[in-house]
Amino acid sequence: MTVKIKTLERQGSTFIEKLYLVEVFRGMRTTFGHFWRILLDNSKSYVRHYPEVKPEITPRWRGRHRLTTHEDGTMKCVACFMCQTNCPSHCISIEAGERVDGKSEKMPIRFEIDLLECIYCGYCVEACPMDAIRMDTGIYSVISSERSSVVKGMDELLATPGAFSEEDYKKRGL
Amino acid sequence: MAETVKLFVNGQEVEVESGKNLIDAFKVIGVEIPHFCYHPALGADGNCRMCLVGIEDGRPPLVPACKTPVAEGLKVQLDTEKIKKIQHDVMELELINHPTDCPVCDQAGECTLQDYYMTYDHQASRMRVPQVLKGKKMDFGCGVIHDQERCVLCARCVRFTRLITKTGELGIVNRSDEARVTTFPGRKLDNRYALNVVDLCPVGAMTSKDFRFKQRAWFLSRSSGICHGCAKGCNIFIDHNREKGGDDRIYRFRARHNGLVNGYFICDAGRLSYHQENEGRLGTTRLAGKDCTIDEAVETARRKIENARKPLFLISPNCTLEQMIAIKGLATARKGRVSGYSDSYIMEGDGDDFLIRDDKSANRAGFAALGIDTTLEAFRLALNEADLLVNFNNDLLRSEASGTFTEKLSALTVIAVSSHDNTLTRKATVAFSVSSYSEYGGTIINQDQILQRFTAAVVKNDPVPNMIEVVRLLGGPVTDDVTITKAMQDAIPVLAGIEATAFPTAGLNLKEKETDHVTA
Repeated sequence: MTVKIKTLERQGSTFIEKLYLVEVFRGMRTTFGHFWRILLDNSKSYVRHYPEVKPEITPRWRGRHRLTTHEDGTMKCVACFMCQTNCPSHCISIEAGERVDGKSEKMPIRFEIDLLECIYCGYCVEACPMDAIRMDTGIYSVISSERSSVVKGMDELLATPGAFSEEDYKKRGL
Repeated sequence: MAETVKLFVNGQEVEVESGKNLIDAFKVIGVEIPHFCYHPALGADGNCRMCLVGIEDGRPPLVPACKTPVAEGLKVQLDTEKIKKIQHDVMELELINHPTDCPVCDQAGECTLQDYYMTYDHQASRMRVPQVLKGKKMDFGCGVIHDQERCVLCARCVRFTRLITKTGELGIVNRSDEARVTTFPGRKLDNRYALNVVDLCPVGAMTSKDFRFKQRAWFLSRSSGICHGCAKGCNIFIDHNREKGGDDRIYRFRARHNGLVNGYFICDAGRLSYHQENEGRLGTTRLAGKDCTIDEAVETARRKIENARKPLFLISPNCTLEQMIAIKGLATARKGRVSGYSDSYIMEGDGDDFLIRDDKSANRAGFAALGIDTTLEAFRLALNEADLLVNFNNDLLRSEASGTFTEKLSALTVIAVSSHDNTLTRKATVAFSVSSYSEYGGTIINQDQILQRFTAAVVKNDPVPNMIEVVRLLGGPVTDDVTITKAMQDAIPVLAGIEATAFPTAGLNLKEKETDHVTA
């Protein structure tokens, strides 16, 4: 196997470039060019006006988690601990108990995701045999002034709706 | 090793122990023959057909390995296409009506069916008809939950109740895909070893109500230990786990095989005794009922022991030999009396002829080996003369019979060194919190004179000291490992000839070496 070598020409060795001052003003021309252009007409800006304008989220995008439910409103999760086992950052903690809604035998009585520890890798979604955990809420901004409110409990995870239709979610091609 | 025979496995010559069947003999040399129904304690039943192996030039050419003894020159085939097809077909048959509810099944992770599926089957189901539905979550009594759909009908549980406990509560009714394990109407499991069927069951058909949904099997660390529930000293696995943000906690005990002591089983009471390791513990060191640092407690306790005219050191029959030696050393240095009086641990008539013993302590035989007095007379005498009682984890008042001491005890200053909270720790002037048997290692002798060693299994986030450490702080002279080992070898001379690394894992039978054994 031969190694390809590409020689790059070294810049900045001429006398004018070595003076620096000329180059500084050339740089400032670009900066102030943008500054005046955007100041005179804001719509010519190249960047998104966040947070007034939100980015478009695709179904493949991994946002905050939610727990899904069956059509009759019962939780799909059976507390098999696959997500917790698979989680590389150990942000999920589950406590299992006897199921009370007659669906199966087992359900979580405590299901917590620490969003500060989560690295949003999506392994929990991949590991879930019941399609009970998804990251399709489209929520990408998690802000809080206290740590405890960033640990999302079962009720909150169940209450968060998905941002996409079932068809769009299925089409995400994973 | 006993007599050996030479035979061939897949054309390779191997030497195995004679007198065993193929499954057991090959297991020793690391060759696995898959099986569901065979269990060394229950014998060969030959109903699962998973262990069928080929015999080259044999008549018949196919035999169940569990029922075939090893023989000289036998040519066993395990990897032919035919054998693989049989294993695959048996697996497919077992899985026809299996609910595959592994996500909610407690056995997942330690399930024979799962393991064999990955090794011998690994095919998608071809079934297109609805599965046969049977009973789920049936309460079989004694804390056993049965799931008929998961059952592979190996009949291990049925044979256990017939052969081992001789109670015969379980049976298989109906035939073919309607066959199921069940109890007789109105007569649930009722014996003191019933939870062993949970260990025996190769799949998730029998699960424990106590362990149900508590943990997944793969989270648990399995450490070896010895049950301290009675004088039998059954070998156990201590399954524990440190959950995120929590402490190292025991979730179950399981039987660990030891042919010298308990065989393959343990009793239900011993199995559930892990609760006592988690709960009712004396969490903190206390001075006059209030939490304090260990330094403050040591200072007070030392002063009290030094000022006492006749201190009495009471030792628990659950202490290890090492701890007993250390305490004895402290007592000798302080000119105090030592007693191992612990009749409150004996429950007359509770034992049976299998594993359960009357004596609910683990190391009473250690008292005899170290020459520690255990009689009531000597204890009563010592107690009447004593002005200070230093109690090392002896739950003196655990049974009604010991109520006679309460009057004397109320007039006495008590220093308690205890792993658990009890009446004596509550009335003690100073109470030291020490580790319990799942958290330390040591040596104990069971009722049948089997000397066993065990090591620490659980490591708490904030470990409390071992009793030996507290004895050292209180001024005990015999506390380092070398001195204790020396004292132990003096008391039990046979130990001197055994290297610590060469100590037999099953334990040492002191009875066999009685000729050269001189008690101290």
